[in-house]
Amino acid sequence: MKGILTDITKCVGCGKCVDGCTAANDLPPGSVKQYQTRDGLSGERFTSVLHVDKNGQNRFVRKQCRHCLEPACASACIVGALHTTETGAVVYEEGKCIGCRYCMMACPFGIPRYEWAEAIPYVRKCSLCYERIKQGGAPACVEACPEKATIFGERDELLAIAKDRIDKHPDQYIGKVFGEKEIGGTSVMYISDIPLDFLAWKPDLGDNPLPQYTWAALNKVPGVALGMAAAMTGIYWIIERRMKLQEEQEESNA
Amino acid sequence: MNKRLIVKSILWAFASVGLVVAWARFSMGLGATTALTDDTPWGLWIAFDVMGGVALAAGGFVIAAAVYIFHLEKYSPILRPAVLTAFLGYTAVVIGLLFDLGLPWRIWHATIFWQHHSVLFEVAWCVMLYLTVLALEFAPVALEHPYLQWPILQRIHKLLKWLTVPLVITGIMLSTLHQSSLGSLFLIMPYRLHALWYTPIIPALFFVSAVGLGLMMVTLEAFASSWLFHHKIKTDLLAGLAKAASIVLYIYLAIRFVDLAVHSKLGYLFEGSWQSALFLFEISISALIPAVLLSFSKIRHRLDALFACSLMVVFGMVLNRLNVGIIAIEKSPGNVYFPTWMEISISLAIVSGAALVYIFCAENFRLFTDEKEEKKSIEKRQFEQPVFDAPSKVWLGDSLVQNISVFSIIVVSVISITAAMLPSKAISGYERDPVPVRKAVGWETIKIDGNRTGEFVLFNHKEHEQRLEKIHGEREGCLACHHASIPQDGPTGCYECHSDMHLSSNIFDHEFHQKALQGNQSCTQCHAEGQSKSRESSIACTECHQSMFQKIDTGKADYYIARSYMNAMHDLCIPCHQEQSQILGDENIPKCAFCHVHPPQTNEDRMQKKNVDAFPFSIQNGEN
Repeated sequence: MKGILTDITKCVGCGKCVDGCTAANDLPPGSVKQYQTRDGLSGERFTSVLHVDKNGQNRFVRKQCRHCLEPACASACIVGALHTTETGAVVYEEGKCIGCRYCMMACPFGIPRYEWAEAIPYVRKCSLCYERIKQGGAPACVEACPEKATIFGERDELLAIAKDRIDKHPDQYIGKVFGEKEIGGTSVMYISDIPLDFLAWKPDLGDNPLPQYTWAALNKVPGVALGMAAAMTGIYWIIERRMKLQEEQEESNA
Repeated sequence: MNKRLIVKSILWAFASVGLVVAWARFSMGLGATTALTDDTPWGLWIAFDVMGGVALAAGGFVIAAAVYIFHLEKYSPILRPAVLTAFLGYTAVVIGLLFDLGLPWRIWHATIFWQHHSVLFEVAWCVMLYLTVLALEFAPVALEHPYLQWPILQRIHKLLKWLTVPLVITGIMLSTLHQSSLGSLFLIMPYRLHALWYTPIIPALFFVSAVGLGLMMVTLEAFASSWLFHHKIKTDLLAGLAKAASIVLYIYLAIRFVDLAVHSKLGYLFEGSWQSALFLFEISISALIPAVLLSFSKIRHRLDALFACSLMVVFGMVLNRLNVGIIAIEKSPGNVYFPTWMEISISLAIVSGAALVYIFCAENFRLFTDEKEEKKSIEKRQFEQPVFDAPSKVWLGDSLVQNISVFSIIVVSVISITAAMLPSKAISGYERDPVPVRKAVGWETIKIDGNRTGEFVLFNHKEHEQRLEKIHGEREGCLACHHASIPQDGPTGCYECHSDMHLSSNIFDHEFHQKALQGNQSCTQCHAEGQSKSRESSIACTECHQSMFQKIDTGKADYYIARSYMNAMHDLCIPCHQEQSQILGDENIPKCAFCHVHPPQTNEDRMQKKNVDAFPFSIQNGEN
């Protein structure tokens, strides 16, 4: 399982990761402002650098797909167009997508974006440069980072590095690897000296993988279906029989 | 004009608006016609057309269960209308979905790409199967029509009648599943749906509320069809439905409030936020008030109260679906979703279309199986005037759609009015925001938004002009940036020639600087000594690279687009021509034909400047 670790204390906010991503994914240059929410992501931008004010000092937080270990988007997808791969990257198959946009509703980080301007639109999001990492390369954003603030590697190794940095400089970091456990863990993780709650819809996501919430209801479907069918057949049969008996009785009485 | 004709005319008008908007939606895309954004990817078409539509059509399975399973023969007169409404309702749902899906022609994908962890997958299958069941349940009614008495069809008719009970049981099962699963859709977003609506038992709430809503929708429908078709309303029958609805609504209320209490969310009710107010309003009109009112037998037997209660439940439960689907969903601050008139018109058009088909069925099939009523209508039909073609005196027979000329006029006029009302983006597709164009200045260094980032760079126009003229020739040099033949041309970005200027230019390459300044010994050349090496502790770029920065007023670039070739050239020539015209007293000098060959024979002529080579006069300077 591959992953990315971003160290917020090292990021200088140059935006080279965004440029690297733009070039590697062949996205149009410049910025398209329409349909773009305020975090800078859009159908034409898979990563962005958010500026956060920390007591008058700037902090830069790179937003991108978190590549959850148990992704809500993939569990929501009606046709399995979004799915996890052996590398840990959550990728999107254009050919299957029907455009229901349930993935966009399901993602707790609000990552998938839509090509609203197109008559034939697709969902767009970071793929962890799946084609590149499959051939042993690193994602374009990581390669572009001049400060080594965002690094790529095996998820376990990155976790070890993160914990090592926190242990060595406990005063410089919040003592937590963002993405280690939340919603079952993510492949893209952060260590930071500022809270990163704003990356998700709500702070404190909890450690339960989101697909569990759905599955709790969905696994009852066969039982409910059979139970309902059996109950209806039973009721039908009983009432039918009673009415027949009643009729027979009436006839015999007469 | 009778009122049915008026109602039908209005429905045709709504449907025609939808036709025009449908064209815009499918040719220009969702962004051009809807208010949907990345923040609110689901809007009216999902919350009202799909979630609301499915719930409103719940009457079909509820009444079928009452009549066939519970043997409550009393309700059989409303069975056929209820099944038809359900069938039309589900058809409307599917059509609404076709509008909402980004790639509607792939709606069948769920049948081959299976993803059984997705709630939507289950809903899709249930809706597909249930729509088939409904068609089979309604088919016997259609097959009674005298036009459809072919032997093969009648054999199918018999088979379907024999299959009624299994079909009804399948229908109930499928309805239970997908009515509840529409609620399960939101289980995966505990972080987006407001706590008052989010609960792990939302599927149960959706199912129970659909049953209650189904009962009240059937009631409302009975009112509507009695008004349209002059039936007598059977108060007794409706009171029975209302009693059942009242019980179901009480169950719904109990589940909802117990659930809130168990998850200790009752505090949210008195938060004073708009969500708590909305919740209280929704629960009062969708369940609380009608349930209480309808539990009194006296009120149940009053038609006006019945009508009011059914209207409240229908409105309240649809509001519930809108709340879950749109209103109570978390959005990023400052972002509000309100559907465009085009979205609303599509929803209206689909409902109107369904209503038109319903009226058509009511007029042509035996929908209301009350014998007394039927006799009356047969008597009535006997005395109807036959229609003859005026000149030939030929009997025209029963027309499939009566008053077709009235409707045609309505459709054509509404289509043209709507087409005229479409906003420009719905006709020509996505457009960039209009930006003011600055007048061309042919010699100075100007500020242009070369990377289209909203930040300007200095651009030496003269230098570019000279260099490009050398490479391409005089005219082609200008045309490299000022396009001659592309109307509404997009900006000519710097990167289109300078591939190395693809990216914004305020990047500081740390590694490069480190190497250039001999490695780690040089840290203190930029970073202040003894402080952590951050952006704050380093010196500004200007301290080393003075030449990189010119003293200019900083600001945002205010234009994006290089002027068209024609405008750029005209800007150069015309002001001077106007000046000379006044000085020389010749009004022809600024006119088009003074420079251009007229009339142009070829495209080349269009640009030809006929007087350039032989100036008939010497230029006089106004100041001298």
